[in-house]
Amino acid sequence: MWFPASVLTSTLIIIFFLLGYPVVTTLVSGPVKPGWAKTHVKPAVKTAFFVSLIPLFLFVNEGVEVVIASWNWMNTMTFDVGISLKFDHYSLIFTPVALYVSWAIMEFAMWYMQDDPHMDQFFKYLLIFLIAMIVLVTANNLFQLFIGWEGVGIMSFLLIGWWSSRADANTAALQAVVYNRVGDIGLIFALAWMVTNLNSWEMQQVFVTVEGFNVTPPALGLVLAAAGKSAQFGLHPWLPSAMEGPTPVSALLHSSTMVVAGIFLLIRMSPLLEKSPTALTVCLCLGALTALFTACCALTHNDLKKVIAFSTSSQLGLMMVTIGLNQPQLAFLHICMHAFFKAMLFLCSGSIIHSLGGEQDIRKMGAIQRQTPWTSSCFTIGSLALTGMPFLAGFFSKDAIIEAMTTSHLNAWALILTLIATAFTAVYSLRLIYFVVMVNPRSMAISPIGEGDPQLINPLKRLAWGSILAGLCITLNVLPFKTPVMSMPPVLKLIAVIVTVLGFLTALWLIAPLGARTQTTLSPNMHRFTSMLGFYPALVHRATPKLSLVWGQTAADQMIDQNWLEQVGPKATVTLNKPLITTTSNIQQGITKTHLTLFLLALILVVSMIIF
Amino acid sequence: MSPYVLVLLLFTLGLGTTLAFVSSHWLLAWVGLEINTLAILPLMVRNHHPRAVEAATKYFLIQAGGAAVLLFAGVTNAWLTGQWGIQQATSPIFIGVISIALALKLGLAPLHSWMPEVFQGLDLNTGLVLATWQKLAPLALLFQIQPANSPLLIFLGLASTLIGGWGGLNQTQLRKILAYSSIAQLGWVVLVVQFSPSLATLAVLVYIVAAAATFIILKLVKSTNINMLAVSWAKSPALVAMAPLVFLSLAGLPPLTGFMPKWLIIEELSKQGLGPAATLAVLTALLSLYYYLRITYAMTLTMFPNNFSGVPPWRLRPLQLTFPLACLVTGTISVLPLTPAAIALVAL
Repeated sequence: MWFPASVLTSTLIIIFFLLGYPVVTTLVSGPVKPGWAKTHVKPAVKTAFFVSLIPLFLFVNEGVEVVIASWNWMNTMTFDVGISLKFDHYSLIFTPVALYVSWAIMEFAMWYMQDDPHMDQFFKYLLIFLIAMIVLVTANNLFQLFIGWEGVGIMSFLLIGWWSSRADANTAALQAVVYNRVGDIGLIFALAWMVTNLNSWEMQQVFVTVEGFNVTPPALGLVLAAAGKSAQFGLHPWLPSAMEGPTPVSALLHSSTMVVAGIFLLIRMSPLLEKSPTALTVCLCLGALTALFTACCALTHNDLKKVIAFSTSSQLGLMMVTIGLNQPQLAFLHICMHAFFKAMLFLCSGSIIHSLGGEQDIRKMGAIQRQTPWTSSCFTIGSLALTGMPFLAGFFSKDAIIEAMTTSHLNAWALILTLIATAFTAVYSLRLIYFVVMVNPRSMAISPIGEGDPQLINPLKRLAWGSILAGLCITLNVLPFKTPVMSMPPVLKLIAVIVTVLGFLTALWLIAPLGARTQTTLSPNMHRFTSMLGFYPALVHRATPKLSLVWGQTAADQMIDQNWLEQVGPKATVTLNKPLITTTSNIQQGITKTHLTLFLLALILVVSMIIF
Repeated sequence: MSPYVLVLLLFTLGLGTTLAFVSSHWLLAWVGLEINTLAILPLMVRNHHPRAVEAATKYFLIQAGGAAVLLFAGVTNAWLTGQWGIQQATSPIFIGVISIALALKLGLAPLHSWMPEVFQGLDLNTGLVLATWQKLAPLALLFQIQPANSPLLIFLGLASTLIGGWGGLNQTQLRKILAYSSIAQLGWVVLVVQFSPSLATLAVLVYIVAAAATFIILKLVKSTNINMLAVSWAKSPALVAMAPLVFLSLAGLPPLTGFMPKWLIIEELSKQGLGPAATLAVLTALLSLYYYLRITYAMTLTMFPNNFSGVPPWRLRPLQLTFPLACLVTGTISVLPLTPAAIALVAL
């Protein structure tokens, strides 16, 4: 007789060991043999994926969820911190998805990074990142989640700055760390609030004891943390800059796993969030603003990876909107779907970039369809899934989200912005496909175009299957937590598709008569606004450091250090005593009159004082 | 100077101070003081240098003025009270006038301004006599006039320590620094003389030992300003190693002997309820500490660059007698543990 719970527990611990073994052996023994990545890392991830399917199937079949509470780490009188892992609906589905995508990316990275001298270190970093991400996803208490949170942040820094001789890469890595840190302020505030008010960081206890509290402060803290990690508007510039890292890094971190950590935190803490309407409204409006703003920026950018990064940011905004609608499960669904096609888009872009000899500007690409059929087909499939073409992966989640939004009673402004963002998604996707894959070649005459390596093709194939089938598989096998609205006017039901098609048609109409256009220059102001990303980085990246540096110099250095601690303190003895010293020694003029005058004065003074 | 004359003058010097010590008649005390003044004048102008002559002239004027006022006060006291006894002087006016006159002779602030100029004109041997022996006679008289509750003496003492501190900070000539240090040290003596003459005696004795040690040290390394101290390490390294302790003993740093009088004086002042005065005296001691540290820095703690021929002088035998210096330096450095014996010794 076997217990599903113990099978779950065992398999999940095995996953951790499988992933951790390659990392630990590099720490313990000496330098690794060449080809260590091929023989140790990729099989570890592949095996971990297959092992993680067991708990997934058990969950789908029997609905088994597990909480593993081990080791009591530290405690004070009334407060305990321990290690506890939670394998519920969210983490049991996310772990196989993340491992599948990581497997594909690792295999791709073995082709992409094969000329890199430190390839083994790169794989080690990716593996450590993966472990941190799984720690984050399976955390049952916020302290463990914070460990995973910081872990992914640090690995993101190391991986973005992989080509560290490049100044732009270093600044981009620093930017990522700083923006994440700003978000961490919110997370730490929420942690502190929970410790002082609810006396625990375990999620179960938090959700039970939070009745009656005003949860808006910690909820807003969590929203800030998610805004930092998931690049919402205000803390968004790091995500496009993070494209300085190698393509596997962009595919794994900045599309599938790390940037969704913020949204995942909000999903985990959704019982807390739904008690605070303010936080939900902030999520809604912030997400809608992010979705539209980054979609606008994607419309006019010319760097292939940056456009895909902006589309990631736009989808993250959409996920934030879903959380604002109080539909955490739909947001989670979109996370899983998005992982597949976004990773595939990045892998295709990596293939294109390598094929064209390192060219990333879409104005210098074109017509690679005949020469790289796999890549361009997968690119198209991924873009279609992104726009929400019916019955591909993206459709199941995106359509559900927009339906939920249109049938809710919430903010109409957010709704309109999201619909416009959906339309723009179609526009820039078509723009990408047009410039990269179609029409005439604008690249160099001799480029190493080719895709014969199976290490490149197989991941693309696997992710393509995932993009096509994952939506169907997941939605058929899980039950919704909240009752979806089933009946609505046909226009509302089809609004997502209508808006997308309208977007496509508009884009086609704009692109088609390019040769015969009479007015060749459109309004430069809007183009300038979106090309410069709304001028946000240019303003904020200079103003904020300057402000803090000026304050620091004035308050800490000049006022406190130089004035209070030096001039009013020790140097005051000098300034006070020096005149007295010079006066005393200047009495000596060398004439006896001085001496005798002082004598006379003293005598007179003494006598008069004694008499009177 | 002929040795006969030198011996005569030194004996006269001793006679003058002894007369002032043993007298109980104002006239005899004045005689002793005048003999002291007159005996030291030829010693001052021994080398016939104009600067020495100027110093001698100023010294004579000041001391004569002080002695004249002293005599005037004594005579007026005799006229008004009919007796010449030193210890029977009770009228506060006379005590005040006599205190001022003695302050002038001792060089207490604000009557101190002649001290640096006079010391600067003398060579170090005569300066030694001036700083140590010449202070004994006026101090003996000051101890005997027994003023009670006199704020004048406290004012003189604090002003002396202050002026001695501030004045010495702006000097590079070592003789002037030693003059200001003498002013400061005598300030401490005068602070406590009305409360505990025995402590004042102790302070005077410790000061004499230390001041004698400093003068002889400077004579041995032949330095009259701070720059000349810079090469003193080559002249006698062992002495230069000891010299900081002597100077810091003057500053009153434990565990050197100079701490003993300062500590006991502060204790006595506190017992008399003069806490602020004690605090002020201690703080002014910091001022003098700074110029003593400057001297030790230039002499010992730093080795200034020197050419090769400046290094060997220590191999030459010194012309100065070193046995007295050895005794004085030992007394300056290591007598603090004998404090109870010292207190018992001076308790009168």
